Amino acid sequence: MKLTRGQGEIITYALGSCIGIVFYDPVLKLGALLHIMLPVRQNKDDPNLLKYADTGLAETIRKMTAFGMLKSRAIVKIAGGAKMFSISGNASFGNIGERNAETVREILKREGFRIAAEDCGSNYARTMSLDVATGDVVIKTSGRPEKHL
Amino acid sequence: MRIRDYGEMNLQDLDVMREIGSIGTGHAATSLSNMLQKEVRITFPQIKILGYDEAVDSIGGDVEEVVGATLVKMDGEINGLMLFLFNLEFANTIFEKMMGVSYPSFEAFDDMAHSAITEIGNIIICSYVNAFTELVDLNISLSVPSSAVSMLGAILTVPIAEYGYETDKLMYCTADFVIEGKTYNDWLLMLPDIASLNNILKKLGVE
Repeated sequence: MKLTRGQGEIITYALGSCIGIVFYDPVLKLGALLHIMLPVRQNKDDPNLLKYADTGLAETIRKMTAFGMLKSRAIVKIAGGAKMFSISGNASFGNIGERNAETVREILKREGFRIAAEDCGSNYARTMSLDVATGDVVIKTSGRPEKHL
Repeated sequence: MRIRDYGEMNLQDLDVMREIGSIGTGHAATSLSNMLQKEVRITFPQIKILGYDEAVDSIGGDVEEVVGATLVKMDGEINGLMLFLFNLEFANTIFEKMMGVSYPSFEAFDDMAHSAITEIGNIIICSYVNAFTELVDLNISLSVPSSAVSMLGAILTVPIAEYGYETDKLMYCTADFVIEGKTYNDWLLMLPDIASLNNILKKLGVE
């Protein structure tokens, strides 16, 4: 998770089944970008909080709130959750991306955040960046035009 | 289980897995050679226990580089994934020999190219798996192959996410192909899960 204020750009590269989550407070020009890999931290001894949606989101929200983010102003955007490989006859394989996206949406809803925009699913990798000065979120993919969320 | 994390493997375990990798890649090179009617050699296989960042560095650095990959899932007495990664140069060498065509970029791939490369990956992976199952005498069934063209970083997260609850590090068993004297930077990865890794080592008498 990266967090910055004022100006600059935060990037996370090559989101496959992972999810990138942007929190942005336009008044403070305060932004954070979290990159999660799995839905739930099952092993409570795992110190790597930011790898999982549940603990990662809690930690990011805690930090952003400490820096002054207000829930009512927060703009949240998510991207990723692709299905990189699909094996015919084995539907459950590789749907981790979908599960990640569902879990993230569920947690954000429970915490009272509205998702302003999202670019999830399909089968291609995405690079996600946030311009902290403007709040502009750009999704880059190979072979497709850039997308502004 | 003696080993609970890939990081706990000792030198002897690594040596055993390198030997298996060596036999597997040897057979894979033979089938590639048969297919292309060209001389195919392999470099000495390497075994690495790597986290995600190290794996990206080790394969060549750029997470956004677009690569092709074929994936086959192993089930049965060994569970895990086989992943074959290749760049455009490797794919074109194969296409030129097989179909007399080449493509300027991965985006230019048509259905034929995707289908052909899936099949090549499948043949390489299957000869690898056949060779090592014979050695360890374990029953493995393989899924149908699936292929993807995407950013390197995203493809490497597939096994990491699949085993993310068990371990942060994975065992990469790799070798480069040398076709008519030219080395191609591709990766053939064998990724057994932890239980299967213990199974293999036990079967080979490493306790």
